[in-house]
Amino acid sequence: MIPTYDELVSWLPELLSGLSISLQVTALSLALGIPCGLVLALGVLAKGKGTRILALFLVEVGRGAPALVLLQFIYFGLPGTGLTLGSFSAAVIALAWNTGAYTSEIIRASLQSIAHGQREAAVSIGLNRFDELRYVLLPQGLRVALPALLGFSILIFQGTSLCFTIALPELVSRAYEIGSTTFRYFPALLAAGVLYACISIPASLLVSHVEKRAGSHAQR
Amino acid sequence: MTAVQNAGPLIRLAALSKHYGTHLVLDQIDLEVVKGEVLAIIGPSGSGKSTLLRCINYLEVPDGGLITVGPTTIDATRAASRSELSGLRRRVGMVFQSFNLFPHMTVLRNVSLAQERVLGRTRRDADERSMQLLKRVGLADKAGQYPVRCSGGQQQRIAIARSLALDPEVMLFDEPTSALDPELGLEVLAVMRELAESGMTMIVVTHEMGFAENVSDTVMIMADGKIVEKGPSAQVMRNPQQERTKRFLRAVHDR
Ligand SMILES: Nc1ncnc2c1ncn2[C@@H]1O[C@H](COP(=O)(O)OP(=O)(O)OP(=O)(O)O)[C@@H](O)[C@H]1O
Ligand SMILES: [Mg+2]
Repeated sequence: MIPTYDELVSWLPELLSGLSISLQVTALSLALGIPCGLVLALGVLAKGKGTRILALFLVEVGRGAPALVLLQFIYFGLPGTGLTLGSFSAAVIALAWNTGAYTSEIIRASLQSIAHGQREAAVSIGLNRFDELRYVLLPQGLRVALPALLGFSILIFQGTSLCFTIALPELVSRAYEIGSTTFRYFPALLAAGVLYACISIPASLLVSHVEKRAGSHAQR
Repeated sequence: MTAVQNAGPLIRLAALSKHYGTHLVLDQIDLEVVKGEVLAIIGPSGSGKSTLLRCINYLEVPDGGLITVGPTTIDATRAASRSELSGLRRRVGMVFQSFNLFPHMTVLRNVSLAQERVLGRTRRDADERSMQLLKRVGLADKAGQYPVRCSGGQQQRIAIARSLALDPEVMLFDEPTSALDPELGLEVLAVMRELAESGMTMIVVTHEMGFAENVSDTVMIMADGKIVEKGPSAQVMRNPQQERTKRFLRAVHDR
């Protein structure tokens, strides 16, 4: 059941390179997705009807469709339209879309949680809409959103395991490969699981630390 | 400024009206305030005092009427342009009941921000002016603190400094001391009194009858979206003409 020491030593380079791909996909998805989430949140809050509808559409599809479906659609579906992507790019795009859609809701709710008086104060000292966002609403809103955004980042990291369905050589794919050559599926997946936990658990602890700090800031 | 401009009112509201749904909150308000005048607005809750104040700097969009502040006149029946609104808001400072300082900025940044972004001052010039203003409200030592570390009275004085930083021609106050303990209210009232004596034009919605009687030049009573009575403060407070005013002042004294 449990991998032996020798097995671990021989699998580890494979697994670690898989983990590295998982982390790269996570980082890129977040780096692209969270700014998209911000833009979508502003789009949903915008006054113009067209902007709002487009933003809502992108958000609802990104949230409504399971990440697995987005992944399959972009990797297997888009080539039908003449656009073929490698599995790495497809993974990043699908997960970034997913991230954008979910984080837009987190960011929108945080922006709306900022007291109405803050907006009024910004308007009454003559700030224009952009400066009001940049200097007054976003710094406060993003601070509120931070714990939820970090929590979501962990989900995306775990979600990269879905990419084994599009043959991206990430952590789970590597474990499967090892399983198929050694017939030691369970120990290989167990080792992969431990590696996921090595990242996720410290990250969760960090999130709850940030959450506590954010909570005590709010009370100040 | 030319003598002609000095002679006319600095602020003129003509037939200003505002509905919320079918509820008429401001009913054809006509009002003039001259440069240097301190006008206190008193009246029962729900009479439209805050709404009137908020219409003057367009935080609330009126349904009809004209708003003139200095050289700008905005016709509320037309959509106001961005430049009209920014012109209006540069001339009009506003102080809120709940201070509304920016909690994520130091006191100094609170006061400097609009000078940099709206007036285009450099940070150095803005900070220098902010320090003068903070000194004026007695809070120079708080410049580097965050607002949460300041008492309510201090926060309200910082909010006053923040508004003054744009060198407004008129300052609007919406119950600036109502959220404060009486002693803390006093330090805010002292700053407002100093401001009034320095010649600032002020419109103050207040429940402080002492301020209305002793500091303001003019008092105006509102009820049901209308101006019931307006006149020199001593006269309105001590010898009101309207039955509605007498009833309101009696109710305040009995409290
Ligand atoms: N945003 C709003 N939507 C609907 N009704 C409103 C809104 N703001 C104010 N009102 C209503 O308009 C009327 C006037 O409100 P306003 O706040 O101007 O009164 P006020 O004289 O300032 O009262 P107070 O002394 O309690 O502050 C009230 O009946 C109030 O319920
Ligand atoms: Mg009010």
